[in-house]
Amino acid sequence: MPGAAQAQEGAAVGAAARRPALRVEHLSIKYGDVVAVHDATFAVDEGECVALVGPNGNGKSSIVMGIVGLAVRGGRVDLFGSEAPARNVNWTARHGLTLVPERRHLYPALTVLDNVVLGCYSWTRNLRKARTSAPYERALALFPELERHFRQRAGTLSGGQQQMVAIARGMAADPRLLAVDEPCLGLAEAVSKRVYQVLGEIHAEGRTLVIVEEDPRRALQLATRQVEVRNGVVV
Amino acid sequence: MAAIPARLRPGAPEGADRAAGEGRRRRATGLTGQLSATGVVVVAGVVVMAFWAQQYIGSVFVLALTYAVVTAGMAIQIGFSQQVAFSQSVFMGLGAYGVAVLNADAGIPSVLAMLIVTIGSGIVALLLGRIVTKAPGLALAVASLMFPLIATGYVTSANYLGGSTGMPLTGNLFPSSSISASVVGNGLIVVAVVAVVVFIGSRLLGSDLGLELYTLGVNEQAAAAMGVVTPRRKLELFVLGSMLAALGGALYAGTQLFVPATLVGVTTELSLLMMLFIGGRRSVIGAVIGAFAIQYVQGASNYISIHILLIEGVLITVILLIEPEGLAGIGLRLRQAFRRRVAPGRAAAATRRGATGTAAAGTGDATAAVTVRQDGAFATSWAAQATGGDASLLSCAGIDMAFGGLKVLSDINLALPQRGVFGLCGPNGAGKTTLLNVLGGSLQASSGTVQLAGQDITRLPAAERFRRGVSRTFQAVQLIRGRSVVDNVAVACLDSNRSSLARGIAFSHLGAARGRAFEALDYLGMGAVADVEVSSLTLERQRMVELARAVASKPRVLLLDEPASGLSEVQRAELAEVLREIGRHTCVVLVEHDLDLVASVAERIFVLAAGGIVFEGDGESFKASDVVGTLLMGRAPTA
Amino acid sequence: MKLGNLLIAGLISGSIYAVFAVCIAMWFRVSNILNLAVGDFAMLGALGTDHLVRVLHWPTAPAIVTVIVACGVGAYLYDKAILRLALDGRRRQEGIVITFFFTFALSFFIEGLAEVLFGTNIYAAPTLWQGNSLSWGGLHFERAGLLVLACAVVSGIAFTAYIRYTLSGKAVEASGESYVGASIVGIDTRRYRRNIFIMTGMLAAVFGILQSPLTGYAFNSGGTIGFTGFIAAAYAGYQKPGRAVLAGVAIGVVESLLGGYVSTQYNDTILYAILAALVLIRPSAMGLDVAVGG
Repeated sequence: MPGAAQAQEGAAVGAAARRPALRVEHLSIKYGDVVAVHDATFAVDEGECVALVGPNGNGKSSIVMGIVGLAVRGGRVDLFGSEAPARNVNWTARHGLTLVPERRHLYPALTVLDNVVLGCYSWTRNLRKARTSAPYERALALFPELERHFRQRAGTLSGGQQQMVAIARGMAADPRLLAVDEPCLGLAEAVSKRVYQVLGEIHAEGRTLVIVEEDPRRALQLATRQVEVRNGVVV
Repeated sequence: MAAIPARLRPGAPEGADRAAGEGRRRRATGLTGQLSATGVVVVAGVVVMAFWAQQYIGSVFVLALTYAVVTAGMAIQIGFSQQVAFSQSVFMGLGAYGVAVLNADAGIPSVLAMLIVTIGSGIVALLLGRIVTKAPGLALAVASLMFPLIATGYVTSANYLGGSTGMPLTGNLFPSSSISASVVGNGLIVVAVVAVVVFIGSRLLGSDLGLELYTLGVNEQAAAAMGVVTPRRKLELFVLGSMLAALGGALYAGTQLFVPATLVGVTTELSLLMMLFIGGRRSVIGAVIGAFAIQYVQGASNYISIHILLIEGVLITVILLIEPEGLAGIGLRLRQAFRRRVAPGRAAAATRRGATGTAAAGTGDATAAVTVRQDGAFATSWAAQATGGDASLLSCAGIDMAFGGLKVLSDINLALPQRGVFGLCGPNGAGKTTLLNVLGGSLQASSGTVQLAGQDITRLPAAERFRRGVSRTFQAVQLIRGRSVVDNVAVACLDSNRSSLARGIAFSHLGAARGRAFEALDYLGMGAVADVEVSSLTLERQRMVELARAVASKPRVLLLDEPASGLSEVQRAELAEVLREIGRHTCVVLVEHDLDLVASVAERIFVLAAGGIVFEGDGESFKASDVVGTLLMGRAPTA
Repeated sequence: MKLGNLLIAGLISGSIYAVFAVCIAMWFRVSNILNLAVGDFAMLGALGTDHLVRVLHWPTAPAIVTVIVACGVGAYLYDKAILRLALDGRRRQEGIVITFFFTFALSFFIEGLAEVLFGTNIYAAPTLWQGNSLSWGGLHFERAGLLVLACAVVSGIAFTAYIRYTLSGKAVEASGESYVGASIVGIDTRRYRRNIFIMTGMLAAVFGILQSPLTGYAFNSGGTIGFTGFIAAAYAGYQKPGRAVLAGVAIGVVESLLGGYVSTQYNDTILYAILAALVLIRPSAMGLDVAVGG
C-alpha cells in the first residue's frame, strides 16, 4: 500500500515537499499491562488530510489520545516544529492542535453557544473578544441547521447535532491542525455525509486534518493519505 | 512488522460443564470465608470476655462491637449497594432510647426491649422508607442528611428523654446481681449478635441477591432491565440498614447503661461513616474492622485522645489515599501480594479476576471471532421453548410520548410476530431509543398501549416485563464494572428477583445462575473470557457481553439498541450471523444505523422520522425506497 | 415591628449559610467535590485573627491580612499535597461520597489543629465596624450583621457575574462538566480547581472575621455552621452560586420566622422537616435527581 509505505518513512519524504505539521516518532501507549500502541512513527504535512484507519480496538484512538496528551505516552511528538511535552493537553491546544474527541465530550448543561465559545479559550480569555472573533463566527456558521438550537442545552440535542457542536467548538479554537476522532460513531448515514461535507470545507480552507475513521471507504472520500493501524502497530 | 508484546490473555478455554463446576466450587469457598469470619468474631469475643472483660480492652471491645452492628448495615446499604442515606444515627438513637424508655419507665428487661425496639424500628423504617426511597440518589442523600438534625432538635428538647444530657437506664442485657457476671454476660450477648450479623451479612453479599444489590448500586437502569425489582430492593435495603442501626443502638443502651443525647446527630453520623470508610465500605468484615480501628485509636493513649481530631484527619486521608476500599482493601492487597510470592500462577489469576483496569484498546482480543454455537444445549432448549403460531407477539398501538412540551413519538403502531429480526431505522433524534424504552418499560408512554402475547403490559415496569420475556441491550454499553463477565451475564439469570432479601441470607443460587450464564456465553463463543473483569475487555467484546446478557434469559422479545456501533466491518458480518441465528428463536427489534446490516438481516424494516413511522417494508424495498434514500443515506430526492 | 426584626435576624443568619453555600457550590461546580471543610476556614479566620490581636498583640489590619493569606497558603498546600494525589494520581478517586471524605478529613484536621493552637474557648475577631446597633423606626440593625449581609450579597453577585459574563467563568463550568472536553480547548482544569479552592477558603476566612463578633467561634464551630451551608447549597443543586445565596437567606428567614411565631423549642426540627420534604417532593427541580456512584 503506497500510503502505508509513505507513512513508514515519515517526515523524510514529506519534508522535501512541505513543512511537517505533526511528526510522531516511536509512539507507544500502555494501559496497565495492556499495550495499545507499539512504536508508531508517521508524519503529517501542513495542508494534508490524513486518515488513521484500521479495525476498532487496534489503537487508532489511542494514538490520537497520546498525541494530544490525554494518554500517557512514550516516544516523541513534534507539533509545527516544536516538541510537545507529554501529558499536557493544554500545551497542544495552545499550539494549534485541537481534538474533536470520540463521544464528543461536550458540556451537557451548557448552551450550544457557550459550548462553542469555549473553543476560543485556547487563544483568548476575553469573552467579548471571543464572541466577536472571526473563528467563532465561522464556527457558528459551519452548520446553519444548528442555529435554532443555539440556546438549548447541549445535553438535550440528538447525537448528530452534538457531533456538529463538537466540530464547531473545535473550529472556534482556530486550530492549524484539527484532529477528529471517529466523527460518525453512532450517526445515521445522512448525518455522517453532512459531517464529512463540512470536514471537506474545513480542509479546503487549507487546514490540516487528521481523521480517525473506522470505515476506510468514508475516509477515502476526503483523505489525501491513509495511515493504517493494526494491532497497535502502524503498517 | 514489529513484534507485538503479549497481552494478558484470558485463561484457557473452558466448557460449560467445567465452568458450572467452578461456580459451585467458588460458592463453597464463599461459605468457608463467611464461616471463618464469623468464627474469628466468636473466638476473639470469648477470649476477650474470659480474660479482660472488666478492663479497658474488654470495655472498648464491646463498645466497638455495638458500633460494628451499625456499620455492618451501612456496608450492605451504603457501601455495597450504593444507596447513600444518612439516617443511621437516627435509628441508632431510636434503638437506644427505645430500650432506655422501655426499661427505665416500663420495667421491661433489656433483652426483650431490644427485640421489641428492633422490630419496631423496622416498621418505622418501612413507613419512612416508602417515602424516602422513591427519591433518586443525591436527593435521598441530601434529604436523609436532615434526619439527624430533625432528631437532634427533638431529642434535646424532650424532657422525658433527659433533654440535652441523655437518659440513664439500669437494666443490663444480662441482668445479674454480680457486676462482673453482668459485664461478661453483656459482652457475650453482643459477641453473639455480631457473629450472627457478620455471618448473614457476608452471606447475603455473596449470594445471588448480593449480585442484584451490587448491580442496583452500579447501574439502576440496567438492573431494572435485567429483572431487578429496584423499588423493592431499595426499600428492603433501607429497612435492613435501619434495623441493624437500631439493634446496634439497643446493644449500646443495654451495655453502656446510658444514652447520651449526642448519640443522635450529625457527629455520630459522621463518625459512623468514618468507621465504614476506614474499614472498607463494601464488605461487612471491613465495617467491623473500621469500628474497631476507630474505637481503639480513640482511647489508645492520653496523647491521642487529646489530639484525636488531628490524628483521625490524617488517618482517614492516608488510608483512603493508599486504598479507597479502606483497611479491608489493604488487607486484601497484602494477601494477594503474599500469594503472588507463594504461588505466582494462581495469584495472577486472582488479580485478573479482581482487577479494575480501565477499558483498554487491546490487541489480542480484537481479532477474536464472534461465533455462535447453533448445536449447543442453549440453542436447543431455546428453540424448544418457543411456541408456534403466527399471532403477533409484541404489539403497540397509538403510542404517544412527550417530554415536557416536546413530542418525541406520535401514534406509533407496530405488530411483530414470534420470530424474526425487525429493523428500526431513522435519523438521530427520531425517537428510536425512546420507542425501545417504551417497549422495554424504562419509560411509560404518555398514551397508547403495549401488548405482549395478547396481554396488556403498558403499565408494567421494566423488571416485570423482563420476567415476561422482554430483554434488551443499551446504546451505551451498561455493564457492571468490577465484576467478571460471567457475573455480568448471571444478573439476567437470577431466580431471586421475586424473593425477599431474607431468602438470600438462607440460600444462594448464585452457582446455578452462573452455570446458566456460562451456557449463554458458550452459545456466543465467549466461554474463554468468562472470568475476566468486564471493563478490561475491548468495546466490541463488551458489546458481546451485553448481547450474551440479553439472550441469557432466553427471551421472547429482544430489543437491541445499536449493537454494531463501534464494530469493524468483519465484526459486523459476524454479528449479522449471530442476529440471524437469534432471530430463529425469538423476536428481535434491531435499532441500527448501519443500513446494510439491517437490510441483510431484517425481514421487515421500519423507518422512524420525527416521531412517526414513515416507511415499512422488506430489505429490498427498503434500499430502493426514496424516503430511505433522502432521509438516511443523504441522497438527493429523485423527483 | 416583631415581623420586621425577625426578618432582619433571619436575613443575617441566612447570610451566614449563604456565604458557605456559595463557597461549596462554586467549588463543586469546578471539581464535583463537596467541601465540608469550608466552615473550618471561617473558624480559622476568626480565631486566628483573635489570637494574633488578643494574645500576640498585633495590630488588627496586619493580623487580618496575615490570617487570610495563611488560609490561602494552607489551601494551596492541601491541594498540592493531598488533592493532587487523590484526584490526579494513578489511583484516581471518583464519586461524590469518596471524594467528600477527603474534605471531611480536612475538616477534622483543621479542627484538631485549632484545638491545639487556640484551645477550646469561644472567641471572636475584633469588631470592624464599631458602634451601637443602627435603628430605623422600630427596626434594629447590628453593624456586624449588615457587613455579613453585604458580604453574602456581594459574593453571590460576583460569582454569578463571573460565571455568566467571563470566559474564564464559563471555563469553570466546563471543567466540572467534562475533564476531556475542557482539556482539549486548553482549559487547565486542575488550576481552576486549585484556584477556586483557595479563593473560597479565603472568602470563608474573611467571612469568619466579619461574622464572629455576632456569634463567636470555638474550634469546632466550623463543622456545624458549614453543615447548614452545605444543606443550603443543596437547594442550588450544588451548582449555581446565585441560587445558593437565595437558598441560604431563605433558610435563615424561615428559621427565624418559625422561632418567632411557631415554637422556639422545635423551630429547627420543623425547619429541617420542611427542607427534607422539599427535596423529596421535587428532587429534579433542585438538580438532585442524579445517582450517587463510587
